Amino acid sequence: MPSFKVASLDALDPEQAWAPWQPSEAQPWTLKWAGHLYRRATFGASWSDLQDAVRLGPEVTLRRLLEGLPGANQRYPLLQTLGEATASFRDEPRDLGGWWIDVILRGGHPFREKLTLFWHNHFATSFTKVGRAALMFQQNELFRRHALGNFRPMLLDASKDPAMLLWLDSNSNVKGHPNENYAREVMELFSLGVGNYTEKDVQEAARAFTGWHTDYQRFHFGADLHDDGAKTFLGQTGPWNGEDVVRILLERPAAARFLVRKFYTALISEATEPPAPLVEALAHRFRTSDYDIAGLVRTILSSRLFFSEHAYRQRIKSPVEFVLGAVRAVAAQEPSPASLAGWMESMGQQLFVPPNVKGWPGATSWLNTATVLTRNNFARTIAAGEIAPSDPDQRLLSAPSERERRRIELLEARLHSTMKLQPRAAYDDPVMLVEQNDCTAPTRVVAFLVDLMLQGDINATDRERLVASAAEGRPSGESRAARVRELLHAIMVMPEYQLA
Amino acid sequence: MLNRRDFLIRSLRGTSLLAVGSVVPQFLVNTARAAEAGKDRVLVVLEMTGGNDGLNTVIPYADDLYHKARPTLRQTKEQVVRVDDHIGLNGGMRGFEKLLQNGQLAIVQGVGYPNPNRSHFESMDIWQSGDLLNKQGTGWIARSVPDLFDKKGNVPVMQVGPQRLPLALQGAASGIVSVDGLNPFRLELGGGNASQRQDQRKLLDDVTQDKRNSGGDLLQFVQRRQTQTFYALDRLQEALRAEGAGSGLNSLNQKLQLVARLIEKELGTRVFYVSIDGFDTHANQGNGHAALLGEIATAVNEFFTHLTANGGHDKRVAFMTFSEFGRRVHENGSKGTDHGSGSCLFVAGPGVKGGPVGKHPSLKDLDDGDLRYHTDFRSVYATLLDDWLGCKSETVLGAKMPKLDLIRKA
Repeated sequence: MPSFKVASLDALDPEQAWAPWQPSEAQPWTLKWAGHLYRRATFGASWSDLQDAVRLGPEVTLRRLLEGLPGANQRYPLLQTLGEATASFRDEPRDLGGWWIDVILRGGHPFREKLTLFWHNHFATSFTKVGRAALMFQQNELFRRHALGNFRPMLLDASKDPAMLLWLDSNSNVKGHPNENYAREVMELFSLGVGNYTEKDVQEAARAFTGWHTDYQRFHFGADLHDDGAKTFLGQTGPWNGEDVVRILLERPAAARFLVRKFYTALISEATEPPAPLVEALAHRFRTSDYDIAGLVRTILSSRLFFSEHAYRQRIKSPVEFVLGAVRAVAAQEPSPASLAGWMESMGQQLFVPPNVKGWPGATSWLNTATVLTRNNFARTIAAGEIAPSDPDQRLLSAPSERERRRIELLEARLHSTMKLQPRAAYDDPVMLVEQNDCTAPTRVVAFLVDLMLQGDINATDRERLVASAAEGRPSGESRAARVRELLHAIMVMPEYQLA
Repeated sequence: MLNRRDFLIRSLRGTSLLAVGSVVPQFLVNTARAAEAGKDRVLVVLEMTGGNDGLNTVIPYADDLYHKARPTLRQTKEQVVRVDDHIGLNGGMRGFEKLLQNGQLAIVQGVGYPNPNRSHFESMDIWQSGDLLNKQGTGWIARSVPDLFDKKGNVPVMQVGPQRLPLALQGAASGIVSVDGLNPFRLELGGGNASQRQDQRKLLDDVTQDKRNSGGDLLQFVQRRQTQTFYALDRLQEALRAEGAGSGLNSLNQKLQLVARLIEKELGTRVFYVSIDGFDTHANQGNGHAALLGEIATAVNEFFTHLTANGGHDKRVAFMTFSEFGRRVHENGSKGTDHGSGSCLFVAGPGVKGGPVGKHPSLKDLDDGDLRYHTDFRSVYATLLDDWLGCKSETVLGAKMPKLDLIRKA
């Protein structure tokens, strides 16, 4: 089959575009496409991930990503308990952010976590207003539970989620004095998008949600505060409540289109808006599957459009992707999640603290002079192996009692023993990798590092510059280890490396 | 409202219009000339930490009650820098005479907020958040950042000095950096010697310099942002090295001279934040307080002199002071003053309408021993945000504040 390289996006036949991609002689399954899949479906690949992927082919690789590593299901409950404890110790979003990073790195299911992050950004709720770590944790669990499930129960659960109810002022939404905050956002940002409802619909939906409150722990329905009169919402009249609103919203064709567009931006491209027929083809399937998220994502990630130049490097890495991608590729040991969270924050992304209900705007807005500089400095720090290593005792510091400390230690020990069952080390020192791959000549060293970081895909001039630098022994002379780290630093500063 | 696509198209188009040479990126050289109308104005904010004694800063020397309340700390008609028949500036502030004579120093009197809080930390948080309940946990300047960004993604806000980031600058997703001698805005190049670091820098320049012809608009966008970052860094380092190189940033004067050089470098920064400590004057405050005020007046005067002499940048700069609270009207038993409320602040610059703004608060009609405020401090913010920086104060402050007549019409 011809690749999509030359065809313009508008000229694509939607059925063809979303059909499963098969490697061909013209476009074989290589390191380049394995790296691409790993960057989009997870937070990036290690060298051994890439080797496995190339060996196993796209289908098996994607299936393995969707399932998570063996043992991930046993490991998560332990991490969950740790998260619960972290949130109970103190109301500090940075602690919780560190916990999440830990889950991404140690949980064995980065694909699920990538989707959880997608939903965190979709239903963007910030600790700054909610103020309770336990509720932010609870909401994070909601996103994880439904991350690969079904959008219908997810939207309903999100509408009853205590953090969300506090975030969008639902407690002040009462019969006779409706507060429209949630009613508006559930349409504008969570399901339909602007232009698919009227102001009257907002007012009527707000009435339907009256009495959907929280006691700061769980959902609470205040029957006497609920307006059970008739409402006319999106053309349907009845004594609607919040569940009816969710049902009616998901009857609208606009809902699936809106979500498909968001997934398109997250998984295919930030540089282009998809033409309507391309969206409609997927939206139709999403609707008829009753909003099966895993099915939608699987279709996208195995499609011919995904494995085309329309998608390749058409996104700017978010700070979370930039930092964790580098960790996967070049960290020699488990890094301190708190330290990584600090870097992400200076790059403009603090987990659990999106800037507003629209989430992080992403794309070009990630990069300004200050955040680019932070990326450059992070690149040097991690290339040099100078990221603070993980210290399990760090979490103990905030534990309020000896009993809690013992509980955490026990959990850590159990987690540790599940990690030992993994077939190989989770982290590889890049200098050792260079040794193991028997790279001594400058061209070989550069080729290996460019394969590791960019899957070989840089222009010839830049490759020559890297080789020349290595050959001249600049800047640090004969030590190969130092040179490997300097080259890694330079590669991570390159514009190509900023793209997902 | 721009939708995401418009934003993307606009930002990509904005960059691809600009030609990038391989050595000196021309689009960066012309930064200030290409600035959008009204987007080149700068605000410098000076935090006077500790609670400045407003009554001995702007002194109602003609009021007998003042002399009664301040038996040891009072300054006479002869001592003050005369403003009008009623008030004068603390005698230490001779440095302000020139700005005063040129009508470029606004003296905003009776500034405060309802139910004043006399805790340093609480009241500082209120001033810095611009939120009387401080519920948001973010700063008023940080919340202005989206309005302050220019199209080139320059750093809109800079803190100069070694202090931790003040609340006023907290809560912006990005766009705020700190510059100081110890922890400068700097590209890390490893622990080698100077020539090794230079080599590594050259490698970084080399592999990021070429315009990316393939790979699409995003790759070109990233390449330009990287080039621009290196360019901004180098200008910043030049500014840091210039003149008193190695002298550090210990005094307010040094900090403001650096700010002046940064303004001249035209890096697109819109707000600078500096602070000076020492205003918690509970005992023997007379000479020390006058000296601190003198340090400010002299440094601000030299700051504007520098800007005027080096390219006439003074016209696009306004300067504002604030402190977390004023002090009690009556001095205490140790020739000092205790925490009070209702104070004064200064706004200075060629674009500012000089002279007193509002009356000096009455010394007869006190609020629990303190001056009564008549001007909400958020009105000062709103005026500077809307009329000077071109932001939307209502969005930033979450309230529509009445504005003051502080800014000259262009």
